[in-house]
Amino acid sequence: MLRIRCPWCGVRDEAEFRYRGDASVRRPRGDAGLAAFTDYAYVRDNPRGWHLEWWLHVGGCRRLLKVSRHTVSHAIHAVGAPDDHLPPPPDGARE
Amino acid sequence: MTGPARIANGLLTDPDRPVGFRFDGRSFLGQHGDTLASALLANGVRLVGRSFKYHRPRGVVTAGPEEPAALVEVVGPGGREPNRPATTLPLGEGLVAASQHRWPTLTFDLLSINGVFSRFLPAGFYYKTFMAPGWAWERLYEPLIRRAAGLGRLQPVAGAQAAPAETIHDHADVLVVGAGAAGLAAAHRLGTLGLRVILAEQDEVLGGGALQDARWDTWRAQMDARLRRLGSVRCLTRTCVVGAYEHGVFAALETLTPAETAAFGGLRERFRIIRAQRVLLTTGAIERLIAFAHNDLPGVMQAGAALSYLRRYGVAVGRRPAFFVNNDEAYEAAIALHAAGVEPIVVIDARAESRAAERARAQGLDVHGGAVVQEARGRGRVRAVRIVDRDGRSRELEADCLLVSGGHSPWTALASQSGASLRWDESIAAFTPALDAASGCVAGAARGCFGLARAAADGDAAARALAAGLGRSAVAVAVDPALALPEDAEVTPIAPLWEVRGRGPAFVDLQNDVTTDDVRLAHREGYEHVEHMKRFTTHGMATDQGRIGGLVGSAVLALARGLPVAQVGQPRPRPYLQPLPFAALAGSDVGAHFKPKRRLPLHDAHAAAGATFVAVGLWLRPLVYSTETGWGPVLKEARRVRRSAGVTDVSSLGKIDVQGPGAARFLDFVYANTISTLAVGRARYGIMLREDGMLFDDGTVARLGAEHFILTTTTANGAAALEHLEFHLQACCPELDVVLTDVGDQWAQFAVAGPRAREIVAAVVPGIDLANEAFPFMAAAAATIAGLAGRLFRISFSGELAYELAVPAGEATGAWRAVLEAGRPFEIAPYGLDALNTLRIEKGHVTGAELNGNTSADDLGFGRLLKKQGDFIGRTLSRRPGLAAPDRLQLVGVRPLDRTKRLRNGAQLVAPGAAGTGLGYVTSSTPCVLEDGWFGLALLAGGRQRIGQRLHAVAATHGEQIEVEIASPHRLDPKNTRVHS
Amino acid sequence: MPGLRLRRPATDVVELAALSGRAGDLERIAAGRGTTLPAFGHALLKADRAAVCVRPARWLLLGPPAAPGASAAAWADACAGRGVAVDLSSGIVALDLAGPAVREVLARGCRLDLDPSIFPPGRAAATVMAQVSVILVATRAGVLLLTPSTTARHFGEWLEHTAAPFGIERAAALPFLSGDPHE
Ligand SMILES: [Zn+2]
Repeated sequence: MLRIRCPWCGVRDEAEFRYRGDASVRRPRGDAGLAAFTDYAYVRDNPRGWHLEWWLHVGGCRRLLKVSRHTVSHAIHAVGAPDDHLPPPPDGARE
Repeated sequence: MTGPARIANGLLTDPDRPVGFRFDGRSFLGQHGDTLASALLANGVRLVGRSFKYHRPRGVVTAGPEEPAALVEVVGPGGREPNRPATTLPLGEGLVAASQHRWPTLTFDLLSINGVFSRFLPAGFYYKTFMAPGWAWERLYEPLIRRAAGLGRLQPVAGAQAAPAETIHDHADVLVVGAGAAGLAAAHRLGTLGLRVILAEQDEVLGGGALQDARWDTWRAQMDARLRRLGSVRCLTRTCVVGAYEHGVFAALETLTPAETAAFGGLRERFRIIRAQRVLLTTGAIERLIAFAHNDLPGVMQAGAALSYLRRYGVAVGRRPAFFVNNDEAYEAAIALHAAGVEPIVVIDARAESRAAERARAQGLDVHGGAVVQEARGRGRVRAVRIVDRDGRSRELEADCLLVSGGHSPWTALASQSGASLRWDESIAAFTPALDAASGCVAGAARGCFGLARAAADGDAAARALAAGLGRSAVAVAVDPALALPEDAEVTPIAPLWEVRGRGPAFVDLQNDVTTDDVRLAHREGYEHVEHMKRFTTHGMATDQGRIGGLVGSAVLALARGLPVAQVGQPRPRPYLQPLPFAALAGSDVGAHFKPKRRLPLHDAHAAAGATFVAVGLWLRPLVYSTETGWGPVLKEARRVRRSAGVTDVSSLGKIDVQGPGAARFLDFVYANTISTLAVGRARYGIMLREDGMLFDDGTVARLGAEHFILTTTTANGAAALEHLEFHLQACCPELDVVLTDVGDQWAQFAVAGPRAREIVAAVVPGIDLANEAFPFMAAAAATIAGLAGRLFRISFSGELAYELAVPAGEATGAWRAVLEAGRPFEIAPYGLDALNTLRIEKGHVTGAELNGNTSADDLGFGRLLKKQGDFIGRTLSRRPGLAAPDRLQLVGVRPLDRTKRLRNGAQLVAPGAAGTGLGYVTSSTPCVLEDGWFGLALLAGGRQRIGQRLHAVAATHGEQIEVEIASPHRLDPKNTRVHS
Repeated sequence: MPGLRLRRPATDVVELAALSGRAGDLERIAAGRGTTLPAFGHALLKADRAAVCVRPARWLLLGPPAAPGASAAAWADACAGRGVAVDLSSGIVALDLAGPAVREVLARGCRLDLDPSIFPPGRAAATVMAQVSVILVATRAGVLLLTPSTTARHFGEWLEHTAAPFGIERAAALPFLSGDPHE
């Protein structure tokens, strides 16, 4: 079970959040075309390591959070608002 | 008399409180405070079960949760509960327990012939033998193996109440796991430094290893009293931490005392989820076995267990014990038993000499240095041991039990789960863990710090370091004066010894019947990695997780591979570290609390009107206002709507209030059709797509002001639609200034439908001109409804002239009654979900059966709604060529040619005479309201081109095949004259 | 003495939400109307009303029962162009819990740390209990719970079931928060 530090609510259990997918892909402009939207809808990296994710705090403040989580250790090194630039993940990720 | 082997007063037992119990049909007496195991041993019962695979006789091996052999069934009023370790099962008055894995009786076991043929049942035997044919697994092999292997019987009594269970959420600055010398010292230190501490101890008393040594009784009592005084430390006894998870989350199972069980309505176990900033693992070390021939014979036990039974329960596990050891710590048991009057005692020590041997000899014990035990001998119980002396001579010594110690392995399971790396420590011949400082630390015997005084000092030091890391080192506090610690004896180091080769099976895992030969077989077959060996042999996969033999298996494998144990490692024990009842995991989310029930604001009014309710997602909705089954009452409700008027509760629709300067632009983005052009006071049907172009949800959008909209979503998607909007607003349109508010619970909403609806609504909404020109189809307005500030919409889902009235949910009953009253001249009556479906199917309106996640807007005939200008969710991908393919499943109507035949949901549509897969299927079906026969909606390949064709609807599950005609989905009033009337 | 005293005060509820960057404006408007808007994660409790903030730039304003929608309409007018006010009086049910076992009972469903050192009177948080959304406000006597109305009966049943071993007393629906004035 993850514990996510919501910038608003503090550290909360995973059960309060809804995972909303990969936050490293951004929706293309409306006229970007079929290929761009196909990538946006379907193409994802599946990294063994740090991963940017959307988590919606539905059981709390209902804000959307951007979370940097390690897919092996589940370590979370940064959480922010959708437009925040999260600090780069630490080198030598713990596994 | 509470057993002939009871030679002293135990720490935990009360000789003045005898307890009667039954085991395998025989009656015994034990003492209050006993476990089933200690009471059986006190009564001289050695044979307590048969082994899982070979049906070998088995006795008690340990004195704790690491027990691999003495697993019993408890027979209670709720049924039979298998696999309870007798070593942790409290002896309650009237306890009835039975042995497992025997057939038909414990002493005469027909299947023990497996033991004779055991060389035919090596590791991997099941995988290799019971393979083909496929059918045989279910019908032959599995029943046979289950009878033979016996996994215990879980047998609830019919009608028995589900066992009550609960989950507790706990929080602490530091979780200390294990209340031995290290844990007690650490918890006390952390508590005095002002940290909130949970001290979890699986035993019923605090003390751990300090319980084994009488010199520590004073220290234990003082520490116990100090901890009780500290408000900041919560001591949870009988609480086993069964799993460590990321981010400082731990799972624990607490077993309640009988008094608590009575107070909590029969609750026996409580599942705790503990969140801690740091963990301090003082889980101690577990004594390990040595593999030699017949090391599973009843009477072969752990040396430390013999000490536990003596100290805790006053029970001597034998009158003529032999010890087989390779370390000094194990002598404590021999010396204590000797001091209690048990003799003669012989100790076989693999080491030539040691300090402990000297101490033992000085007290009159017979110690054979440099010798090993090659075999335990006896039928059904130990009668003698065959030893090999230091000069290589083999001989037999008489003994009634054999107490073994192969050394002590730090119990590293929780540390491993917490991400600790394991390091081989040659001085104790075991792995020790090191935790990342951010998660916590390990102290005492759990990291190889043996000796109680050393462990206590180590726990204290670890606590200071943890406190410093949490910013508590500088806090000036009045600390209790240090307590005197009894001195640790000087010890000679262990000499690693894993296996003594001999004739006969030598077990490394007693519960799963895994021998050293099985481990070597795994190696020969290529399962070299320790995790592969584990799965091939099932070593360590039983409920005890191989606590006492795990490292021995690794060592045997290491020897076979020609590597040091350090390089082979040991399998990672996964949660849960002890068997956990599913009931404990379910907690209170069972029965009526399994999932929330959402009740309509008018729930009680519907019930009073005789509604039969149906669960739709979380909602309870009136299905029909009758207890009669069949279509009769449903069609009666529906006909009233078609002919005059009816009213139905649609409060379960999701309702979202959207306000702000960016509201119109946002809705243009989330809806596939245009919303911004909607005039104030008007409503519009709207469809939402997912980004992949598929339909997500539909509903209505009403504009109440320039920057104020109210949306409805389907009942099923209420929560999901709100999340969809919130996500896209925050992720994709942060520049839009929009406030979304969930008003689903705020508003009750009901639809008044039928040709006489206008007259009825006019009577309860007096202030609005409802004439067709003044308040046309899809009009919306704030309105005073039955005296309440509400909203009126001219929306229809039934195909009839209809209005939806929204009022604050808390006041809904009055408005509902007013509608019924105003409708009385028109014989208005409420209609339920079944009638509502009947009406909407005839009109061709879609719901979840058609909005199934695989349909596009075009499939359901909404293609022309998609706006041509501007971006919206799903716009680009909804235009993929594949989604416009002519053979896609498209919405059509289906009408059986024979008016007496019924349609069934899910019926496959096939061309007459054609074989193979169907062309589509029926999604919704209903008897027609005003005429004979049935009508349905279907998704049909190239459906719109097939209108007028005749196909067969095949309901294979009902053995039905009927001829149908494909039609427009809009059977009723295709020109919409009724809704516009 | 029962471990838990439960009552259900009738309340009028308005949700006030600021448009972008307008939270300060709402605070001034509210102050002008005699209401202090608390910081995030806090609640201000008075004898006859309360303001709770568990969503950024949004406040729940609780007061004695009034004509449905009337106070929301008044707030909407006062905040026009700077914020949105929505009536939730029918959408939210308040449960007032007091007694020595409040935290023990809530720990059986609430994942939050309600220790008084962490969650003292005046703190507020939104969370999920018994699979239902709940807003908790720490009061001096216990906790005020705000929960959606359509699941309120379910939640109340869960609460009563859970509190049963501790003893529960259902007090009459007294006027709003009259038992626990904080200021
Ligand atoms: Zn939050």
